[in-house]
Order: sequence, then structure tokens, then C-alpha cells
Amino acid sequence: MSDIDNKHYWKAPAGRNGAEGYQLKVINEFPEELDLKGESEGINRRSFLKATGFAFAGAVVAQMTGCSRPPELKIIPFLEQPEEIIPGREYWYASTCHGCSAGCGILTRNLDGRPIKLEGNPHHPLSKGGLCAVGQASILPLYDSHRLRVPMMGNKEATWAQVDQAITTQLADLRKKGAAVRFLSSTVNSPTLRRSIREFLADFPGARHIQYDALSSSAIQSAHQTTHGARILPHYRFDRARMIVSFDADFLGTWISPVEFTRDYAAGRSLQSTPPTMSLHVQLESRMSLTGSSADRRHVVTPRECEGMVALLAGKIAKLAGQSSAVIAETNPHFTAIIDELADQLWHHRGQSLIISGSNQTATQVHINRINHLLGNEGQTIDLTAPSQQRMGDDGELEKLRQEIAAGKVAALFILNANPAYDLPDFAEFTQQVQQVPLIVSFADRLDETASLAHFVCPDHHYLESWHDQEPVAGLITITQPSINPLHQTRAVVESLSLWHGKPVDAHTFMQQTWQQEILKRQNTHSQFQPFWDQALQMGFVQVKPDATTPKSFNASAVGNAATTQPSVPSGKLALVLYPTIGMLDGRHAHNPWLLELPDPVTKVTWDNYASFSPATADALGIKEGDVVRLTDDQIKIELPAHLQPGQNDQSVAVALGYGRKGTDRFAFIGPQWLESKPTVEPGHLIGQNAAIFLARQNNQTLYSTRSVQVQRTGARHELACTQLHHSIDVPANLATPAERRRPIVEETTLAALIKDPHAGAHHQELFPSLWAPDHKYPGHKWGMSIDMNACTGCSACVVACQIENNIPIVGKDEIARQREMYWMRIDRYYTSEGDDTDVAHQPMLCQHCENATCETVCPVLATAHSSEGINMQVYNRCVGTRYCANNCAYKVRRFNWFNYAHEDQMQNMILNPEVTVRDRGVMEKCSFCIQRISNAKARAKENGVPLADGDVKTACQQSCPAQAIVFGDLNDPNSQVSKMRANGRAYRVLEELKVEPSIDYLRIVRNRPQQLEDSHV
Amino acid sequence: MSSAYSVLRQPLVEGDRTVAQVTADISAPLERRAGAMWWITFGIVFSMLVLGLAAITYQVATGIGTWGLNRTVGWAFDITNFVFWIGIGHAGTAISAFLFLLRQRWRTSISRAAEAMTIFAVMCAGIFPLIHMGRPWFAYWVLPYPNTRGSLWVNFRSPLLWDVFAISTYFTISAVFWYLGLVPDLATLRDRFAPLAKNGPLGAKLRYRLYCILSLGWNGSAKTWNSYESLYLLLAGLATPLVVSVHSIVSFDFATSVLPGWHTTIFPPYFVAGALFSGFGMVLTLMLIARKVVHMENYITRGHIDAMCKIVIATGGMVALAYMTEIFIAWQSGNLYERFAFANRAFGPFGWAYRIMVFCNVFAPQLLWIRKIRHNLLLVFILSIFVNIGMWFERFVIIVTSLHRDFLPSSWAHYTPSLIEIATLIGSFGLFFTAFLLFCRLLPMISISEVKGVLNYGRRNGEHQ
Repeated sequence: MSDIDNKHYWKAPAGRNGAEGYQLKVINEFPEELDLKGESEGINRRSFLKATGFAFAGAVVAQMTGCSRPPELKIIPFLEQPEEIIPGREYWYASTCHGCSAGCGILTRNLDGRPIKLEGNPHHPLSKGGLCAVGQASILPLYDSHRLRVPMMGNKEATWAQVDQAITTQLADLRKKGAAVRFLSSTVNSPTLRRSIREFLADFPGARHIQYDALSSSAIQSAHQTTHGARILPHYRFDRARMIVSFDADFLGTWISPVEFTRDYAAGRSLQSTPPTMSLHVQLESRMSLTGSSADRRHVVTPRECEGMVALLAGKIAKLAGQSSAVIAETNPHFTAIIDELADQLWHHRGQSLIISGSNQTATQVHINRINHLLGNEGQTIDLTAPSQQRMGDDGELEKLRQEIAAGKVAALFILNANPAYDLPDFAEFTQQVQQVPLIVSFADRLDETASLAHFVCPDHHYLESWHDQEPVAGLITITQPSINPLHQTRAVVESLSLWHGKPVDAHTFMQQTWQQEILKRQNTHSQFQPFWDQALQMGFVQVKPDATTPKSFNASAVGNAATTQPSVPSGKLALVLYPTIGMLDGRHAHNPWLLELPDPVTKVTWDNYASFSPATADALGIKEGDVVRLTDDQIKIELPAHLQPGQNDQSVAVALGYGRKGTDRFAFIGPQWLESKPTVEPGHLIGQNAAIFLARQNNQTLYSTRSVQVQRTGARHELACTQLHHSIDVPANLATPAERRRPIVEETTLAALIKDPHAGAHHQELFPSLWAPDHKYPGHKWGMSIDMNACTGCSACVVACQIENNIPIVGKDEIARQREMYWMRIDRYYTSEGDDTDVAHQPMLCQHCENATCETVCPVLATAHSSEGINMQVYNRCVGTRYCANNCAYKVRRFNWFNYAHEDQMQNMILNPEVTVRDRGVMEKCSFCIQRISNAKARAKENGVPLADGDVKTACQQSCPAQAIVFGDLNDPNSQVSKMRANGRAYRVLEELKVEPSIDYLRIVRNRPQQLEDSHV
Repeated sequence: MSSAYSVLRQPLVEGDRTVAQVTADISAPLERRAGAMWWITFGIVFSMLVLGLAAITYQVATGIGTWGLNRTVGWAFDITNFVFWIGIGHAGTAISAFLFLLRQRWRTSISRAAEAMTIFAVMCAGIFPLIHMGRPWFAYWVLPYPNTRGSLWVNFRSPLLWDVFAISTYFTISAVFWYLGLVPDLATLRDRFAPLAKNGPLGAKLRYRLYCILSLGWNGSAKTWNSYESLYLLLAGLATPLVVSVHSIVSFDFATSVLPGWHTTIFPPYFVAGALFSGFGMVLTLMLIARKVVHMENYITRGHIDAMCKIVIATGGMVALAYMTEIFIAWQSGNLYERFAFANRAFGPFGWAYRIMVFCNVFAPQLLWIRKIRHNLLLVFILSIFVNIGMWFERFVIIVTSLHRDFLPSSWAHYTPSLIEIATLIGSFGLFFTAFLLFCRLLPMISISEVKGVLNYGRRNGEHQ
């Protein structure tokens, strides 16, 4: 040790030998000699004072600068420089997202040996460059220090050798006995993992692999089994649909493959053609979903009515198709009118429409199949030949397993990526029953509800540490490659299984074997494996022949009189709608603070789940926002804070799944702790409540919205932390005349009006001429942005992308409740009501980089300044924190560091982007147009000796946007995409009348409606 | 000026005091031991000061987050208190300099205390811009000093920077002016303490030394008086424009912004009138207490109170006019944001604050039109408190209601002060009154030399200024 301590580090070669001159130079901070002599030879009074004054000032300056900089440390370089790795240079690896089962393509950005950011892979055939909030945030668990670092045996830490020893012994025993082995997982569409499980289970006679999804699409597959003779999930093509009717399917938010669907949906509504066209989207739902918020027509119905209307529509369409069919009588003339209109429109869009339902009732899905078949959508908007494998769960299989477990027939249960002890409706019963199973092995990354019941927990790698593949859609195989060495002593499932199987092999080799044996032969381009593999690795995916069961043609006789079993809601009760949220999905992301804090795109509430009521119902029940209500059905009850949701059905209450996960009490003290701070959750409590108890199982299906509940006020309060307090675009009625109530911030028009006039919907504000000529010269670039509000669905991918890219801290519930969220990019959500209809507008709001920025003039210390490229820059280390700039910002996009925001988990500091300063407390911050990306792009262009091209710079928000609503570029270049967007007739600027000249254009929302329905603008 | 004295006019100093009596009367509080009342009051206000210091220490150590501010309301108690205290200060300068130039001789009895009030108020005010910064340890960056950070300079376009200059100038001039006026009195005190210099108690000895130093060798010669009065006049001339400029510049913080409710050209005169209004309100409060506590009824007479009440009515009228003008202009502008800002001010979530403001500043002072009320000191005292409260709320209303609901409804927010903010406000009152009580004990609170000039004694003997 002492040798190391005495080691002599040198800074420059001269210093190595302790050269005399060098030593002197080191001591003398100012290399030039000072002229201390003055006029005479010796030191006189003046020169003495001069010298001492200078020395003193020097010392003071040195002290002061010393205060604001960290102490100088010596950097010890790699002993052996790794090949091809240059510190500070970014490396990208193509991979696949595991945030949900959709299998979107990602590129992982590695800096200094660790992945710090995920971006969508622009070449990926499904996601086409977008990546949702969940996908973006799925990198954080990699650095979660609560992950298991070693395997667990009987809830105690163990070594792999011990665990393997114990498991193999038990397995050998089971093999001898021929006992029942079951492998329970969520959807596994990975050829490699499937092979691994197959080979592992082959040893055990009668062993089965059961897949189930907590967010189940089992009924769609069952319906196809009925009508097409194959259990498949179709691949929906929203881009080809001219009319979309969705019965409570949140396809832009959480349903099957939201990124892909959003991309396709936006493509079908791009208005690029002349005359502009867009698909017509009709949504029927009980709650206000993200998808519903984008719909052209939205019908608010109860869950029962929703199911009933599918059948009604099927009958109507059959009639139009000339088939005699018993049209189910509907007594409500209102619904008949809706369905008649829908049927006519759909008939008009034959072969170009898409009807979907989020229901998990086979009967309903059979009707859906029938409608799509009769309209000729199969092969057009519905791809059955290369079906989706994004949700393969079979609720019936799960049911069988449950019976086996209950009967004590299962001898060994392996659980992968599933949490039945949390997400099953009767999880308490399951928890009891499963304890009879003599061997439970879990591959969970932490001791979650299910893993803590397991005898062995053999933690799998985080996906960024592992070799993996997926086949989300038949014929598309995506690769996941490790972008970092495993941080802990975790082990790939494939390796664990192969080891217990007795043929240990590493995941990489195993996967290559699979590809060699199974995938290579499904394509014709490559005959050799290596180039095929290399290409796949580089692209992140390959496209091969689909290897799925071919569906038979539609079997009309199978339809029969499929009737749903949706119970009616007794009077005095409300229908309960259970739904997943954008961030939590089925609860798998409950340990991700980015997603917990992400405001729900519609309600803008963070850190909680809640019971949503329509304002009218809440009024009738005397419930106010934040009142704790008890929802009861039979013996099942749950207590949740109430939330008032415009656009929700009056006879229903909606509750999000995915909350109340074990271990979320860790977030109690996330965020700053001070005198008046409140914990994010009361210590010992969980974040939100688990609503899974209200799920129902019927006919081998998990049902989400069949229960009805009694609502009671408990008298308690639980404040919800919401990032938006005023939700309407209208100001309160008592504070403005009717003509001035609506603020001209969001502009919208109808398709009919747009066809006649490209500028339709513009607010004709009186714009006064400026007194001053524009005096900002932008000699090189002038960066600008354009946001197509018609494309934006409000999905909030950009919000999380920005947070990760720019090291934006998590602040905790209390700070959110104090309106101190730190997001640089937010999505303002406004409701407008026209009669009974509630329209929603999503407006991404970020620093507008005004030419005449009001923040710039008021800063006393010039901490915010205008760049020659049109960027409003914030100089963190100059900021003294007067907050004057934020007060004077008309868009309120500036964010102040009220405290020092440390990560709750120190290890998560690894995620910080080294190219962006971590801001100190007392400093203002805001969107920088990802200036670090601009610098990088410029450096790359310079390195390659080419001018910067349009599209070279992509901001983080732009990159992630699944709808490609955001375009960034050079406004000085008339051919850039952003310049073209500015010239679009729909372009307008928010608060243009202030003459601050924002650099961001918004493109008007267009609703596909007849003109007379257009919002009556002021 | 020989006809300044009228038989109809009430004497400025009552009780028919001689020159020597004046000296004795005014020096009396400095020469006797502090009474129990003084100690109790001092104990209370000093505790308030300590509370404020603790709050500030905690806030600086922890972060501005300990205040109730948020992303939308970036200023609230901090700048409200700042503008409030700066406004309070204005009366002192107005009385001592403005009224001096206007030859308002009644000012002599109250000018000293009013000036002291100015200085303490500006000290209180100065705290807030300092501690409202996110990083107060870098506060010196707002000064345009030569530095080693390249050519990094301050932003001369920023009204906050103008504030820095305006307030530092104001404080400097006020302090110099006050001190200069004190010199003849300090010399008087020096001479009174001289007998105790050798054998008196230690306190007296120390005081004598202090007065010796501070009186700058004043010898009372005609030449000294001549130089003194020329300089005093000059400084009064310098200080007078500050009465107008400082609060005009403070109002620029708001007037030059884009925020509806802030962005109005009426702000400079409106703020100056408001400052004088609040300042005289506070002078009334202080003087009514002081004259009772230190028995200066002869010097601070009903006449003084009456005159100040009239100023309060006048400035209050100006403030009321400004309120009405604002509302009218907002309506006339046709700008929906501007109209909303004022509707929201009156009827929005902070409507209660607006109504307190209007009641205290517009309606309550109207009672002062009645002579009987002006002469009922208890009522005047209560009304002066109303003015203080009303003017604090005026600043709160301007700042918070304009900020909390501006252009984009998505960013609208509410504001609730935190305990730390309330403690800091209490602390600023603690500092103000602690300083004032110490002032009463250490320095003559009425200008001995100036009061002598307005004595009836002098008038009777045909000595006119």
C-alpha cells in the first residue's frame, strides 16, 4: 500500500525527473515574469503596493475559482487501452427493446463503456425510429441497485454453484419420478428462448410451457381459432386504414404495439397529399384514453354498451353485406343512430377500414372478425399471413395450470417474466396454492411478489446485458445484443436452463446455434451464416419468411350467435373499468421512478393510481378531486383517491392496473427532504393500490371491465400530484366574457375546412408591426423546430427522452404537487367541450427559443443569451438564480433547481449523460435544443469534411417521437424539412402577437369532421 | 420668510420650550436607563429578528425550495417584502429632503426618525434581493467589477441591475444625509457626556468616545454652520430625485416585462405614489408609538400627525386613481390576457388579497378627510396600520396574481407561503424594529439643532431664519 501512496504522478514529461525549471513553473502560477521593478532598480513603495495588490488579487481569484470547481484529480488511464474504444466517443449498438412485448428496434448509445441512452432504430420495420416512454425508460433498471446481484436460495443469498447443485439434484429426482414440470412465462416470441425452454422441458414427460399476459389479448387469438382455425393475433396495419373504429382499444397508448401503431396511424393522417386526406378515427370507450383523445369522433359508452355495440355493428354490416343475420335488437335509439352511421361509413370504406376491440371476450372478438371479414379488410388492414406474436398469452392455459397447482399436481414451476402473485385477480389464493409446489424457480431481477415465493431466484440479466432475440411479427426477427458486461452476478435464462439440462452453453453460442439451425434457412439472401449473422447484428433485425400456422379462410358458420357475457350494472353501482397506464403497463415498471413520475398523458397525474369519475358522477356522489373513495364489489374492496375526468362515461369508474407493487415503499423519500416536505408515499406504504383483485375470470378469459362497484366516500383525503392544475383551454367563466374565454393557443380545424383553405382555423390576431428592425443576424444556421399537433398523440415519449438526454432529475411527488416538476419538455393537455363531447388537444411545450427572448433581457448577469444560431442558451455556471427569466417567460418553460436533486439510488448516476452538465441548486435550466447533439453533429460533419445536412441533428424529443410529429432543422436552409413545415398553411406560432418571434412552429390540429361541426372559434 | 409666522397657526413645537429645555428633552431618553417597556419590546422584536435569521440560514443552506414558490410563481413573499420595505423608506427621504427643499418647517420634528426609518427599511429591503437568489454566495456577480472571466460583464438591459444601482445609490445617499444631519446633535451629546468622561460609568465613557469620533470635531462656529448648511442643502438636492427615481426603477422590474398585470406604463408614478403612501403610513405608526413611549408629545404634535394624514389622503388618492386607471386601460386595451389579468386579480383565487388591498388603501384612508378622526390618535394609528397592511398586499397582489395565471392555462399554479417565508417576513420586521429601538436609545430621535430653529421661543424674540 505504502508504495502506491508514495507513487509519484507526473503531469508533463519535464516533471517526471523533477526538472528544476519545471518545478519553478509549477509553483509560479503566472509564467510571465512580473515587472515589479518599476522605474528604479530596487523595490519602491509603488511597485511594492502594485505587487502585493496583484498577489492578493491573484490569491482571491484563485480562491474564488477554487470554490466553484471540483478539486483537480489525476486521471489514471487504462492500463491496457481496449481496442476500438476511445473515451468520450459514443458507440451505438443495434438492439431490441424489452420494455413491453412489442419488440421495437433500438439503438443503445454507449459512452465510456456503458449504455446511457436508448433511441429508436430508424430502420426497424415496426417502430421505424420511434421509441415510447417505457422503452426510453427501460434503461434505468440496468442501474437499479435494488436488482438482485446474486442468486437467492430460500430467500437467502447464495452462489451459482450452490443453486445449480440444488436445482440439478431436485430436477434429477423429478426426472426419475416423471413429475409434472411447468414453465410459466409472459409472451415468449424469441426463437432462441423458445428452443431453450423446449429442450429443457423435453426431459420431462408432459412438461408444458404456459404463456400468459397480464394485459391479455387472448380473446383475439381465441376468436381467430374460432373463425380462422388458427390461434393467431393479426398484425394490424393502421397506415392502410382510411377508417378506424376502435371499441375501447387504446392502440396508441398501451395496446399490443403502441409505437408501431402510432407511427402507422400518424402516416395515415399525415395530410401530405393534395387534396389533404386523413383517416377517420372513431373511438367508443368508457374512460378517456390516450387513443380516445386523438379520435375524430368519440362515443362515450359503458363497458356493457361497448360490447353490445360490437354485436350490433356486426349485425348491421352483415345486413349491408346482404347476409341475413339476426340483428341484435338495440332499444336505445341513440346507439342505433351511432351504429347506423358507423355502418354506413364503414361500408363506404370497404377494404380500407379497420375495426378493433380491446375487449378480452371471445364473443366480441368473433364479431370483430366478422365485421372485418365482411368489410374485406383481411389482407388489407389486417395481416393474417404474417401475424403478430407480440402477445401470445393464452388465458385458458393459465386456467389449466391454476387447476393443476390447486390440485397439487405440479412438482416444479419455473417462472420467467411473469408476476402471477401480483397480477392475477385472485393473487392471494394463488400465493397460497403455489406454496404447495415443491420446487419454484424464478428468474426475476428482484424479489417481487412471485419471486419471494420461489425456492430459488436465478436472476436473469437486464436485457442490455444479454444476448436475446425476438420475433414480434412472424418473419421479423430482432436481435438484442449486450452493450455492457453484466454489472452483477446475474445469468442469462438460456444459460441457466442449458446448465440444468446438462448441456451448458453460453447464451451467445446458443443463440448462434438457433439462428444457424432455424433462422438461416428461412431466408434466401445469405447462404453463409457469418455474413447473415453480421448483417443481423449490425441492423438489429432480419426479415425472413414467416413461420406461422396459415389461417384458414373465414368460417362464417363458426360465428353463430356469439353473445357476450357482459353483466349489466345494478343500480347504485358503477361499472368498473380497469386499464393499464402508459408508464406502468401491467406493473412491470413499478420500480422505475422515471415512469412513476411521468405525468399520465391524459390526467397529468403522477406517482399514484386513482379512481376516475366523470365530473357529473362525482358531483352526484359528492366526490371532489383527491377524496378517498372505497370501491366495493362483494367482498373485494379497494380505497383510492378520486380523480375527475372529463370525457368519461357517467356510469363508470376507471382504475389503473400496475400499481401497489411490492418494494415501491423505497420511493418514500425520493426527492428533496426538508422542513415541510412530505414523503412520496407514507413510509411502509406502496405506490398506488393493486387493482388486479377486481379482474374477473370467465370462460377461460381474464376480463378487465365486467365488475360493477359500489362507491363510498371514506372521508379521508389523498392529494394527487398533478402537473397541470387548469385543464381547459377556456379560462374560468367568471373571469372573462364568453368571447374571450377561449385562449387562442391551440388552433384546430376540420378536414373539410382544410381542403377548401390550407390556412383554415387560423386565429386572425391583429399583429402590429414591430418598432424595431430585426437585429439578430444568423450568419450560419438558424435552428428551428416544427411540431405537428395533428400527428402528436400525447404519448409522452419525448418527455422521457428529454429527461434522459438532459439529466433532468426526478423530484418526487411532493415537489410535483408543489408545481415544481423539472421537465424541459412537457405536453400541455387541454380539454374543450362542445355539448356532450369532450375534445382533447395535446400541445408539446418546450423553450421556444425566441428571437426576441424576454428572458434574455431581464437576467442581471447575462446568464441567458442568444446564440448566433438562434438558440436561447442558459449558462448554468453564471446563473445566480433570480428567477426573473422564468417569471418573464410567456411559455413558462424555464425550470429552477429549488434543491439539489440527488438520485434516490446513487448507482443510477451511471445513467447521467456526460455531455450535459448536472445542474446545481439555485440554477435555472430549460430546453437547449439538445445543443450537445448539434455540436456533435457539427464535429462529425467537420471530421468527414462535408457540410451539415438537413436531418443530421435530431433532438432527443424528435428522435423518440413515434408519430414523427417533431421536426428540427435549419431555418436558414429553405430546403430543410423544418422550413417547409413553416411554409405549411397549418403552421402557426403560439402567442405570436407578443412579437417574441419563437423558433417553434405548431401545425394546427385537423379533425376529420364535416365543417359544420368545427369548433366555433372566436 | 420673515412672515412665516402667523398668529393663527399652531406652533410647531408645543409646551413653550426654551432652547436648553429642548436639548434636555431630546437627550433625556439617551441619558436615562432603558425602561421595562423598552426591554420587553426589544426582547420581542429581537426574537423576531433571530427567528428571521434562523429562517434565512436554513433557506440558504437548503435551497429556495423551502419557500412556497413554484415553476409559475417565481417571486412572491421575497419581492413583495422587498418592494414593501423600499416603499416604506421613501417617506423618510421625502420628509427630510423633499420637504426640506419645500421649506416645510414642520418636518424638523420628524425628519430624523423618518430618515432612520428609511435606512432601516432599505436595509430590510436589501436582504430580499440578496436571499431570493438561488445562489446568494454569487450575489457579487451583479456588480460590474473587473473580473478574470474574460470580458464577462453584467447585463445593463436588466431592470434588476438597475435596481442594484438605484438601491445602492439610495442607501448611500440616505445614510450620508442622515449622518450629516446628526453631526451637530452628536456634538451636543458629546458635550453633554463630557463631564462623565473621566469619572462616569464605563458606558458613559464609551459613549463619550463614540460621540467624539462621530461628531467629527464639530465646534459650532459660524463657519462650520455655514459649511454644514450648504452641504446639507446640496445633499437634500441630491436625495430628492431619488425619491422619484428609486421606486420608478423598482417598478421597471415589472413594467418592462411581458406579463399581463406587470407590463404597464403607469407603474412608475403609481409606485412612487404608493411608496409615499406606505411610507407615511409607517411614519405615522412609528411616530404615534414613539411620541408616547419617549414622551415627545411636545415635539411631535397633533399638527404633525394632521399634516401627515393629509399626505396619506393625497397619496392614497393617487394610488386609488392608479387602480382605476389600470382596470380601465385593461378593458380599453381589448387584449384578452390583459383583461383577464385584472378580472383574475379581483375575482380569481387571490381575490381576497385584492379586496384587502382596496379596502385598506382606497376606502379606509377616506376617513382621514374628517378632522375629528385625524385628531383621534388611536384611530389614526389604526388607519396607519391599515395602510401598512394594504400596501403590503398591493405588492403581493401585483406580483402573485399576475404570475400565477399568465398566458398558457397549462402552467397556471397556486401559491401558498411556506413557514420559512413567513418567518423571514417576521424577521424583517424584527430587524426593522430592533434597529429602530436601538436608534431611540443611542441617537437623538429628533433633530435638536433643527427643532431649535422652529421654536416659538425664537419667534417671539424676532429671530427668523
